[in-house]
Amino acid sequence: MRPDDQDDKFGSGVAGAIGLHVVLAGVFVAVAMFAHTSSAHWGENASSVGAIQASMVSAIPLPQKFKPVEKSVLAPDQASPAPVPPPKEAVAPPPRPTDILIKNKNLPKKVGPVETPAPPKHPQPTPPTAKAQTGQSADQLPQSTTQMKNGTATATVQDRTFGNRYAYYVQQVSQKVAQNWYTYEVDPKTSQGKRTTIVFDIERDGSPANVRLLTSSGSPTLDTSAMRALQRVDGFGPLPAGNQITVEYTFDYKQQ
Amino acid sequence: MNGTAKGMTERDIVKRSERVAKAKRVVMRMCLPLLSLMVVVAGTAARAQDTFHLETSSGAQSIRLAAANFKSNTPDALPFKNTFDATLFADLSAAGIFDMVSKSLIPQAAPGTPGEMNLAQWSSAPASAAMVAFGNIGVQNGNLVANGFLDDAKNTQYPQVFAKQYMGPPNDDVARQLAHKFADDIIFRLGGGVPGIAESKIYYVKRVGGAKEIWGMDYDGANQHAITHLGQISISPRVSPDNSLIAFSSLGNNGFQIKMFSLLLGRLIHFSNVGGTNLSPAWAPNGQELAFSSSRTGDPEIWVSDPQGEMARRITSYKGPDVSPTWNPKTGSQIGWISGRTGLPQLYIMDSDGSGVTRMTDGGYATSPSWSPNGQFIAFAWNRKYGPGAPGGQDIYVMEIASKRWIQLTHDIGRCDFPSWSPDGRHIVFANAPDGMDSHNRIMTMLADGTGKRALTGPGTDMPNWSWK
Repeated sequence: MRPDDQDDKFGSGVAGAIGLHVVLAGVFVAVAMFAHTSSAHWGENASSVGAIQASMVSAIPLPQKFKPVEKSVLAPDQASPAPVPPPKEAVAPPPRPTDILIKNKNLPKKVGPVETPAPPKHPQPTPPTAKAQTGQSADQLPQSTTQMKNGTATATVQDRTFGNRYAYYVQQVSQKVAQNWYTYEVDPKTSQGKRTTIVFDIERDGSPANVRLLTSSGSPTLDTSAMRALQRVDGFGPLPAGNQITVEYTFDYKQQ
Repeated sequence: MNGTAKGMTERDIVKRSERVAKAKRVVMRMCLPLLSLMVVVAGTAARAQDTFHLETSSGAQSIRLAAANFKSNTPDALPFKNTFDATLFADLSAAGIFDMVSKSLIPQAAPGTPGEMNLAQWSSAPASAAMVAFGNIGVQNGNLVANGFLDDAKNTQYPQVFAKQYMGPPNDDVARQLAHKFADDIIFRLGGGVPGIAESKIYYVKRVGGAKEIWGMDYDGANQHAITHLGQISISPRVSPDNSLIAFSSLGNNGFQIKMFSLLLGRLIHFSNVGGTNLSPAWAPNGQELAFSSSRTGDPEIWVSDPQGEMARRITSYKGPDVSPTWNPKTGSQIGWISGRTGLPQLYIMDSDGSGVTRMTDGGYATSPSWSPNGQFIAFAWNRKYGPGAPGGQDIYVMEIASKRWIQLTHDIGRCDFPSWSPDGRHIVFANAPDGMDSHNRIMTMLADGTGKRALTGPGTDMPNWSWK
């Protein structure tokens, strides 16, 4: 056998192996380069992400800050102090095994089971708590709107508790003033959507007092007609509770 | 305020439809150069159906009120309960400020106490009540006891408006009185502080044989009873502001004289008489003065005296008859009356000392004025086209003092005369002769806008006068 024959075979084998490796390496590179462009990957900015996504924002969307409501328990100006932990009760040391226990002669008398009082038949209205309920009614004021042919009249009572408890009274005030508002007194040239706001107190006996203009509409005739509406009212009927309430009344003029 | 929230949504719908209509008008007119996008959208949406027209809520709506049938606690209270229910419903319907829920629409279960009340049932269709009056009635210890409740059906959190107990001896008349009281309490709470009139009375003239006597009745025509038994012609009764005296004019041996009848004593009391014809007394609102027409000096003039007829003084002095005075009940410082100084009788007003005479009507034949309790209006009978062959007839009119503008309240129901205001200023009672014959006169009542007319008495009654409270 010639040694040359063996050499030739060795050379072609090596070349084949090298070629195979180059092809394999090329395949890996190609897969690495092109395969990931076709499908989404972890951490990418896709619409549905598998895990954590971080994006740059200009501000953090904190819950909106509301103005503290007057006479409200929650939302105070100052933070309330942290509650003090309850004081530890003094516990008597456990009796030693050598002690002889003496019977206490002054044991409290046994009392029969206390009957639970029957619930009142009349449904008791829950007392008004000035607590703000979550996410609602913090800025909701009791008000009553009366639609008229020639405008809208809205009464707002500043005492929220009164307005909720005696909604019918507020409704009545609204209606009575609306009835006494003569829109023909308003200059017809007054432009659409002018509004004037009047503030007045209602005394204990139901008579309006202290009538004053809060926001002028810019139309003197509309302001006067609103003031006159109040002057025509002798009384709204005695207040169901309290000595005085303050009412804000908005007259919305609208042309026919 | 759930209920109000509900109400608001209804109103919002109304408002929105109004807005659409308005926007439509704006688009049609093309007068505004700048239209917001929203308005344009609304306008185009509305233009799709070009024919509709929206008119919303003219004036303030009346409260929708349901009156439940009361629950009878004891079987012997059943007849009283029926009287009570009927009276309460009639009173509230007649008040003129409620949109009453028909009895056929109310839920079948009659709640007797707030515990049995299911407000959702009443506030939803078909009743759709905003307010519910309910309660129970029974006989306890020989007394008729009614417990009345008024609930605001829209206020789920605090429904109760008031609760009150009414008591009296067990008879039918008392059952009606209790219902009147409960109705008055409801009207007072919901009517803007104006007391109800369910307990007021009407005094009138009743033909008894050849004589005319003064009679009285409840405001709804019930309980008609005689007051005087004089056997004379007695006319124009006027009750005093404190409901204790009735002044009227009676034809005796000395002609027409003013007479004073005490309702407390049940007999005539002294009133000084002088010569001449004395007619049409009228009480001042303080009850201390009486105005009337007297011809003691020859010409009928308006005189004012105290309730005993003393210290009489004349306040008009002009040739021609001056009759039928009526005081301004609000101020007590003005008198309206009928004067014939220019020919046909016309309506005039003046200050109570006789100064500041102002003529109110411009023609026709005006009679029997009555000043409204709030002082703003005068009701009177007027034949605007008086004369032979003239069209129309005598009808009831109401005139606003400040502007002298008037409206006609009766049309084509025959001759009407003698209007008299109710103490709440919402009703007017008057005499009506359907065929024009005096003997067929009857007493009718209506709301002050002329609606809701109904007769209270049969023929032979005349000259009604509504009590002051």
